[in-house]
Amino acid sequence: MAFREFLSDRMGKTILEILIMTLTSVILFTTGTQSGVIALLIILICLIRITSLLVSFFICRSHLNELERIMSGLDRKYLFTECTPPPKTLYERKLFALMRHSCKSMTESVSDAESAIHEYREYVESWVHEIKSPITAAKLICHDMNPETRRRLSQELARIEAHVERALFYARMENPERDCIIRECNLEEIVSKTIETYRTLLMQSNIRIETDNLNHQIYTDEKWTCFILGQLMQNAARYQNEFCSNEHSSFKHSSFARFVSHTRMNTENLYASNDTSVISISAERIGKDRLILDVSDNGIGIPSHELPRVFDRGFTGSNGRAKGGSTGMGLYLCRKLADFLDIDIQIISAENEGTCVTLTFPARDLSIENP
Amino acid sequence: MPKIMIIEDDRAVREELTLLLKNEGYIPIPVTSFQDIVQQIKEDDPDLILLDLGLPGQDGLSLCAELRRDSNTPIIFVTSRNSTADELLALSMGGDDYICKPYNIPLLLTRIKVILRRSSLKAEPDYTEINGLRLNLAKGTVTANNMTICLTRNEIQILAHLMAHAGEIVSRADLIESLWNSKIYIDDNTLSVNITRLRNKLDELGLADYIKTRRGLGYQI
Repeated sequence: MAFREFLSDRMGKTILEILIMTLTSVILFTTGTQSGVIALLIILICLIRITSLLVSFFICRSHLNELERIMSGLDRKYLFTECTPPPKTLYERKLFALMRHSCKSMTESVSDAESAIHEYREYVESWVHEIKSPITAAKLICHDMNPETRRRLSQELARIEAHVERALFYARMENPERDCIIRECNLEEIVSKTIETYRTLLMQSNIRIETDNLNHQIYTDEKWTCFILGQLMQNAARYQNEFCSNEHSSFKHSSFARFVSHTRMNTENLYASNDTSVISISAERIGKDRLILDVSDNGIGIPSHELPRVFDRGFTGSNGRAKGGSTGMGLYLCRKLADFLDIDIQIISAENEGTCVTLTFPARDLSIENP
Repeated sequence: MPKIMIIEDDRAVREELTLLLKNEGYIPIPVTSFQDIVQQIKEDDPDLILLDLGLPGQDGLSLCAELRRDSNTPIIFVTSRNSTADELLALSMGGDDYICKPYNIPLLLTRIKVILRRSSLKAEPDYTEINGLRLNLAKGTVTANNMTICLTRNEIQILAHLMAHAGEIVSRADLIESLWNSKIYIDDNTLSVNITRLRNKLDELGLADYIKTRRGLGYQI
């Protein structure tokens, strides 16, 4: 608070005081008081007034500073009125009581909302666990059917499963620390577990998966990383290019391939054959404590103007709209979970040529320390 | 035949699992009353236990800890809870494996096979011979007419699957599924390429037309 603001706040009062002083001086002068006495009186009164103004300014300022300090130290700002000392004057006390009342009702609605969210989350989680038994039973039943029906049915079951899984992780995201355990995991194991989990979806979309150099230890939560990888692989399987015989024969030399190869990816594998859909998963250690995992495909890609928004909640993009059935949740969840796991997630893409998602894990290379 | 005890409270899953294991050549023992499970296990003495973690009345984990006090029967946990914490807890309680619902059936069967083999230490024969062709799985070679040739991993898997179903028609989708089971993630086109290469190699051994194509259906040995 600047002194000028403080003064302008008291302008009305000051003008009134000056008016009273002028009036008093005029009356004193007309009733015969000497002008020297009047001048002395005016100077005295002005001095007292200015001192009192300054004192009250400093008191007011230090009080405000104190309040601001309390506010900035608060985690939940709406609890402010609970943490401040009550004011001294009657008027301020009345104002304070009103404010406190309003904050209290606000605190109540906030905690109501929080517990509602919590209950909802619990319900979703238990629902997810309940629904898994019937899905398992359905899978067991369809195992005995003729191969054609079995495949078609298990495809649909796999889609249900994928949706259920997303719902579970969406509910878990509310307080991720509850289910997350960071420990040393083997990347190769994580990748093969992921493929196992989503194999029906991947296998039946007729896609080839190539892995390269995955035998590394990383520090992460296995289930969550599986989920993230699963979303990326599902996307790759979903948005495949329609390969015609020679259309993409020049693919290896396209700008995207060059672009991707700049990002240290092993392009040999990915573009070894140009006429089928491929997911290529490869890892590379960067320095002592980081590991980069590339999940790339040769699918339809993402238009460049949509790239910055692919991680937004509910963003489906032109591809998602064209295919239908896209929820816009997969990559959003990936980004959220990756943030929590301290995984950096980046995406590059070129239309009709492919998409490459890069995950950077924290990973300490023990072999460097203990050769 | 190995006895497998199924401790599972969901009726549909229990019954289907019983049927599946029976078809796979095991003796399934479904548990229907969850009051004195430890006693039932002692009586039936199964070779493997499939244990659901979310049982009514009793927690699967404490049951496992109780069992482990005086038995080494392998236990596979089956659960719909799939957080890392649950898994670690289960394995630290003495479980041998942990499978999340809804599981893939081939995966479940593989894990059962692996654990049974581990506990019984019975080795499977490492070669198969059909129609004069001997496939050595351990070495990855095929032998016929006194000639031996090396195969790639994909080719071995394709041939092994066809030989395991000798006489039957194996569809391309079945083959792809079996390859995926062995962590070879290929698509339809790659399968064609691999089959062609495999046939060329068998040709060199003097076994032309060893793998017959049944148009529109699949392959047959």
